[in-house]
Amino acid sequence: MLSRIRYTLRETFDSFRRNATLTVAAIITAAISLLGVGLTLLSQHAFDNLLARWEGGVEMIVFMRPQATAEQLQLVEDNLSEQSQFIAEFSYCDEQCSLDEADRVLAGEPGVRELLDENNITTQFKAIPTEGTDVELLRQLSGAFSELPSVFEVKFAEDQISLISQLQSFFGFRLLLLSGFLLLAAILLIWNTIRTAIFARRREIEVMKLVGATDWFIRIPFMLEGLLHGLIGAGVASLGLWVWNTQWTTGVQDFPPNSGFAALVVTDGYEVTVMLIMFAIGALAGAIGSGIAASKFLDV
Amino acid sequence: MIRLENVTKSYSTEVVALRDASFDVAKGEFVFLVGPSGSGKSTLLRMLNRQERPERGAVWVAGRNIIGMPPGRVPHLRRNIGNIFQDYKLLLEKSVFENVAFAQEVIGRPSHVIKQQVPAVLELVGLAGKEDRLPHQLSGGEQQRVSIARAFVNRPLILLADEPTGNLDPGTGEGIMRLLDRINKTGTTVVMATHDQRIVNTMRKRVIQLDRGVIVRDQARGVYE
Ligand SMILES: Nc1ncnc2c1ncn2[C@@H]1O[C@H](COP(=O)(O)OP(=O)(O)O)[C@@H](O)[C@H]1O
Ligand SMILES: [Mg+2]
Repeated sequence: MLSRIRYTLRETFDSFRRNATLTVAAIITAAISLLGVGLTLLSQHAFDNLLARWEGGVEMIVFMRPQATAEQLQLVEDNLSEQSQFIAEFSYCDEQCSLDEADRVLAGEPGVRELLDENNITTQFKAIPTEGTDVELLRQLSGAFSELPSVFEVKFAEDQISLISQLQSFFGFRLLLLSGFLLLAAILLIWNTIRTAIFARRREIEVMKLVGATDWFIRIPFMLEGLLHGLIGAGVASLGLWVWNTQWTTGVQDFPPNSGFAALVVTDGYEVTVMLIMFAIGALAGAIGSGIAASKFLDV
Repeated sequence: MIRLENVTKSYSTEVVALRDASFDVAKGEFVFLVGPSGSGKSTLLRMLNRQERPERGAVWVAGRNIIGMPPGRVPHLRRNIGNIFQDYKLLLEKSVFENVAFAQEVIGRPSHVIKQQVPAVLELVGLAGKEDRLPHQLSGGEQQRVSIARAFVNRPLILLADEPTGNLDPGTGEGIMRLLDRINKTGTTVVMATHDQRIVNTMRKRVIQLDRGVIVRDQARGVYE
């Protein structure tokens, strides 16, 4: 068993060395494509941050002044309940809830976030309209709310979201498409590298078959080699992603406050999830490329 | 040990490499396959370790019908069969020791077994002291001895030799034949394809003669003719 493992590792690394140029090309391509996938996921998550307070179909938010009294809150609540024809449901996001939300919305502006606490945060009523209710209608209704005591302002998803979500889908789709093509190129390069490695060792393979090595014994070093291409590519991409994210996050802090980019960062550890996803995709790409090459060029 | 029953193998409609071939080889026998180039000797040998499969007929090796054998069993069949060739098929960047050890490594023999058995078999084939040489630092006869050591190191039941003396001068070829004879005396069945008349005539072993894929003669203690 031990000698088998040693054999496999030795063969894999020998092959790396012999095939250095192709191997490096395969790894770089895998790394760039995975970085593309990673940045897409990361930016989508950052955009999601930006839109955090509008999650779940919320179309209208009534922001309350920090020191609103219980009666004043009740008044707004009653008013919202009366509009059940247009407002399917609404919920109250209290101080703690709004502070939690600020963690995400102001992730890129820690300075601003630090100034907020239970005594100065605006709490929110979030309203989800009934099916078919036009935003313009909500806007007209809102005239009544904005006049109520302690209401700070009323905002509509439409005004906030459209540009952001357009940006989000514009970047998301194109970046993912580009990454997909690059990933395909990476798989082809891995495939070609493994094919070349098999060809370079065809004499050995012939001898191995003659003396009775099993197919899997012959195959595994090649498959492992492809898998490593994918994993090393993912490692490089992870490093790239980390550098990118750190630089961007610090960069955003120097943007003017309320520039709209404040939330466009990832600080909640999601980048680690993205890295794991990149490793999984890298491993899959490596396994596909080398698996196809091994089954196509190693038949008995 | 080996039995062919009405084996026919063609590569295309024109090329019929073997036609209705049948014979038995007992354990420990030494058999020459003779016949001109293209008569089907190599095809027959490749049939015995399932590098080729016939269209018709049955091939039995060590009590098993190997035609219907599932692919997963083939490696285990081959562990019982050693192969040597006219062109040695050595791995050029590996030393003598490594070439022989390779045959044990790739079937998962532990390294302490390899360290013990490889020197012993190199001693047997007369290559003691040349373990670290590379193939290009050896004569043709020595290279063939390495290939015999590699074929024999796992103690196969059967040794298949395809024109092993084809690239060697007569004196060197005789040395190889003495070695194969010694291996045969240990109980290993040897089937050797050759068109070296002198060798067949001096060894006086069983001779199976092929002509365009047909067995035309099967003679105990035969000569080349
Ligand atoms: N892989 C192959 N594909 C097509 N024809 C082959 C192949 N191998 C051998 N043959 C043909 O089969 C016949 C027998 O060849 P072979 O078994 O190599 O004979 P020998 O070893 O006696 O010279 C020849 O006509 C040869 O051309
Ligand atoms: Mg031949």
